[in-house]
Amino acid sequence: MLKRKLWLFSLVAILPVMAIFAYVRVYPIYEVLRLSLHKWDILSRNKPFIGLANFAELLRDSLFRTALINTSIIAFGVLFITVPLALVIAALIHHRTRSRFASFYETSVFIPHVVSLVPAAMAWKWIFDAQLGPLNALLGVFGVAPKAWLFDPVLSIVSVIILCSWQALGFAVLIYLVGFKNLPRSLFEASKLDGASGIQQFWYVAVPLLKPITLYVSVATLVSAFNVYAQVYVLASDAQGAPGRQVRVLVLDMLENTFRNYRVGYAASEAVVLLVIVLILTAIQFSLLREKGTR
Amino acid sequence: MTLSKTTSPTIRRALLLGSAVSVAYAASALSAWAQTITVWSGYPELVPFYQHVAESMREEFPDITVEVNAIALREHERRVALGITSGESAEVLELATSIAARYLENGLLSTPPEDVQAFVGDTANFGAFFADAASYDGTVYGVPLFRGQSAVYYNTDMLAAAGLEGPPATMAEFDSYAEKLTQRDGSGNPTVSGWSLRLSGGGSGITEKFAINMFQHGGEMLASSGDGMWKSSFATDAGVATLKQYLHNLFETRTVTVEMPADAEAFEREQTAMFIRESWVIGDIASKAPDLNYDTGTLPRGSIVSSVQLYVAAEGEQADAAWSYILATQEPENLLWLLDNVGWLPNRAGLDYSEIIAAKPAFGAFVDYPESYEFFTTPAIGPIDEVMTRVAALLQEAFANPSLAGDDAAIMGVLENIDAEVNAILSREGLLAE
Repeated sequence: MLKRKLWLFSLVAILPVMAIFAYVRVYPIYEVLRLSLHKWDILSRNKPFIGLANFAELLRDSLFRTALINTSIIAFGVLFITVPLALVIAALIHHRTRSRFASFYETSVFIPHVVSLVPAAMAWKWIFDAQLGPLNALLGVFGVAPKAWLFDPVLSIVSVIILCSWQALGFAVLIYLVGFKNLPRSLFEASKLDGASGIQQFWYVAVPLLKPITLYVSVATLVSAFNVYAQVYVLASDAQGAPGRQVRVLVLDMLENTFRNYRVGYAASEAVVLLVIVLILTAIQFSLLREKGTR
Repeated sequence: MTLSKTTSPTIRRALLLGSAVSVAYAASALSAWAQTITVWSGYPELVPFYQHVAESMREEFPDITVEVNAIALREHERRVALGITSGESAEVLELATSIAARYLENGLLSTPPEDVQAFVGDTANFGAFFADAASYDGTVYGVPLFRGQSAVYYNTDMLAAAGLEGPPATMAEFDSYAEKLTQRDGSGNPTVSGWSLRLSGGGSGITEKFAINMFQHGGEMLASSGDGMWKSSFATDAGVATLKQYLHNLFETRTVTVEMPADAEAFEREQTAMFIRESWVIGDIASKAPDLNYDTGTLPRGSIVSSVQLYVAAEGEQADAAWSYILATQEPENLLWLLDNVGWLPNRAGLDYSEIIAAKPAFGAFVDYPESYEFFTTPAIGPIDEVMTRVAALLQEAFANPSLAGDDAAIMGVLENIDAEVNAILSREGLLAE
């Protein structure tokens, strides 16, 4: 009886939270799924059901294809730069934990993550500037010809990857540092007794033990990178004229379809595709990185 | 007044009731007088104008307060879409004809009172073009305020240094002027562009600028069949000539490059010698580069005209106050203030610009044009923004492809591809002409 009462109390206590969660997290996803099967111009009361027509159109849409390819390149580019780099930087910072500069290292790596995106992107826009930017000036010292970072079709995507990685790095390093601090010292001592060098300890002891952390960091980084928008918006925008090349990404395409083209149903179908891609990739990451025998 | 203990309960109740009624009446009267109407604008430079209008009507309407919220145009369009559909919109909305069409189709904007309709319909106030731009299905819904109209801006010092006099009069002259005006470094790379073209960036601006140049070559981006149906007409001689000209300047004579500073900002910093833009640049130059020596000229054939109207999304007293405010924007004094201080061209007919032009001759190319000067506008159809955005993406690819320069067949291929994309959109929306 007491057990039942406790169970009921727990249920009642958790119900408001569950209701709020369902309303703000689950219901919007359901609405997006529903809208993707309808034609709706945001203004009309009519939302005719059109089945999978929006998805069929997506397959023929060259701008969507471009957005999907660009977004995927950016997301994986950010993932492949951020995760290994964060792991190495976190290892170096952890190695220097007793240094009086340890907190300075941590802060300087983490700052880009907390800096407001727009001023940061504006600063990077200046760095990438073809004529006045310090990046081309630096490359010029080594005899490299100036590059049109924000205008070249390939380099403009590279620029977005660099900016996003710079932002994502701090968070990833922080999480890895927590992971490093929780690794059992005994294993490192044992491996040292066996004659393992610092690099061998990192590669054969730390990296395998940090697999769960790597899983979390890589999922968070990939999901965040697939939602890239503000970075490309700021890098390509200007008060008037002389903006950069607009790197078309999925979120930008969705916003354009919703608020400029008044095609909410179509934009919802893009959102569904993005959701499915992210879910599949997350599942793959889980299967690759989750330790055998764990759930 | 105080209620003494000697006052009878009946009198006391009567006095209390009277006081309550008075307070309620005063409160309701106050709320009726202290009316606030909000204006949503997509042009931040117009804020002083809207405030100037509010000041000018203060004497007649002392209790109407006007709040102006102006943000960048694309964000403005988003908030209008969200605001109107959620019932949280401002009372006065500034919208271009093509954007307003969507809301009017769905009955989301208020119908003006008869006096406003008569005012807009009066040919002494507005030409038929602007009255039509403010109408839907034959009914007036908005009041035309200003228009975007283009002219060529040129740096007179740079022209004089290049031995040129007056603006280019033909599109061929644009090429030869650009070559002579381009300044280069020791390696031959351009440091000051001869003719700044819109080559990059997001959105439909690239297409709009391309359409302005295409019009000079004798073409328009969409051809009307006259029954409300349209067909893409980029793959035409005019389209080829236009794209060819862009590529010629980009890759053959290299008078401009995609990464060079461009548009008004570059012109104000003397980083370009010549560019085509609307009249607002005059106001911008006055505030940012007052010492710049420049002039304007008409375009070889004619100009785009993009009319912007004021609409109301409100009912009852709020709507009445909003329409009063909108009519106040049409006072000649206010409209002349708009041109003089902001630089946008008022749509109202019969205004005397002579004093302003005498003081700022650059406005001349916008109001004193030849008899034969022609105007065109982007079709007021629902998917026009989508069309222009898609075309912009394809043009941007073409501008990055040097192999297209001088290859008419390849240029035609690009334009046929654009036609196919545009016609697919028109077909989807039931707007494709046979």
